[in-house]
Amino acid sequence: MLQEAQNVVSGISGADIAEAAKYIGAGLCMGIGAIGSAIGEGLAAAHALDGMARQPEMQGALLRTMVIGQAITETTGIYSLLIAIVLLFVI
Amino acid sequence: MGAIFEQLTGMLEHLGEKRIAVVQLFGTQIRFDVTALIMSWVVIMLLVLLAFWLRRGLRQPVEEKPTRTQAALDAMIDLLQGQLAGNFASERLAVMMFPFVSTLFLYVLLSNWIGVVPYLSSPTQDLNVTFGLALLVFVLSHSLAIRVKGVRRWLKGFAEPYPFMLPINLVGEIAKPLSHAFRLFGNILAGTFLVTVVMVKFMPILVPPALSVIFGLFFGGIQAFVFAILAVAYINVAVEE
Repeated sequence: MLQEAQNVVSGISGADIAEAAKYIGAGLCMGIGAIGSAIGEGLAAAHALDGMARQPEMQGALLRTMVIGQAITETTGIYSLLIAIVLLFVI
Repeated sequence: MGAIFEQLTGMLEHLGEKRIAVVQLFGTQIRFDVTALIMSWVVIMLLVLLAFWLRRGLRQPVEEKPTRTQAALDAMIDLLQGQLAGNFASERLAVMMFPFVSTLFLYVLLSNWIGVVPYLSSPTQDLNVTFGLALLVFVLSHSLAIRVKGVRRWLKGFAEPYPFMLPINLVGEIAKPLSHAFRLFGNILAGTFLVTVVMVKFMPILVPPALSVIFGLFFGGIQAFVFAILAVAYINVAVEE
């Protein structure tokens, strides 16, 4: 009874709050989740560049290993993307 | 003009929706994602037709001067052998697994690239397709490990280096196909979502094709390569002593 009265007064229902929380959660999930994989991929690129500058003849092998390492590092970012998608479309 | 924008907004509303066909078989419901199924077959058909078409260019004795098709195919096989099969632990394994790994690469590559064509969607943006491929690699790597090492040593491999590491090793093995599948699926799906959202909400012309080229062709190629090379790595790890 009291809850209903409050809802009528404020005009905001629990469904609205849940809807808003979904979007906020998805945004936070992607925003914070991307930090880790971005730092990781940057580190991989930086060290691959170091190696290439030191030994230019190793460029091909370094580039290949860097791309694979970055793709694996990206997995955490992809997980946060999945959670964001689940928040937006499934829940 | 208004009709076009209506259609575009419709695209955004139907983003992430699936067409599911339900088939009753032996009292159980079997669900199919129709789009992924059809696009998967389209990709397979394209690959088979391409193979037959390229095969026609090879019908001659080897001593003669190679045709253009033959030279192109040689270069492609050399590239695949150098980049993919060169990472196998042993020569024997490389010879045995090269057809599988390169087929996997070509299938994923064409699947990713076909999403760039308007009105077609990548089969790899469906989790079931990528998960099927990852499970294929998982089962293959472990059956190879059993064949090479024998059941006893294969089971013992889970208790390395110490027996109390068993749960961690098991979780690690289960995480492999999961991350393998999610990586490809997430990348392709994110590309599709981004292109669609930019097209509908910001700019319907000029920018989406450029984004589509970056996400579809460039990242699609890299992800196909990564998928194949991770298959190589998983097979290597499973088989190694």
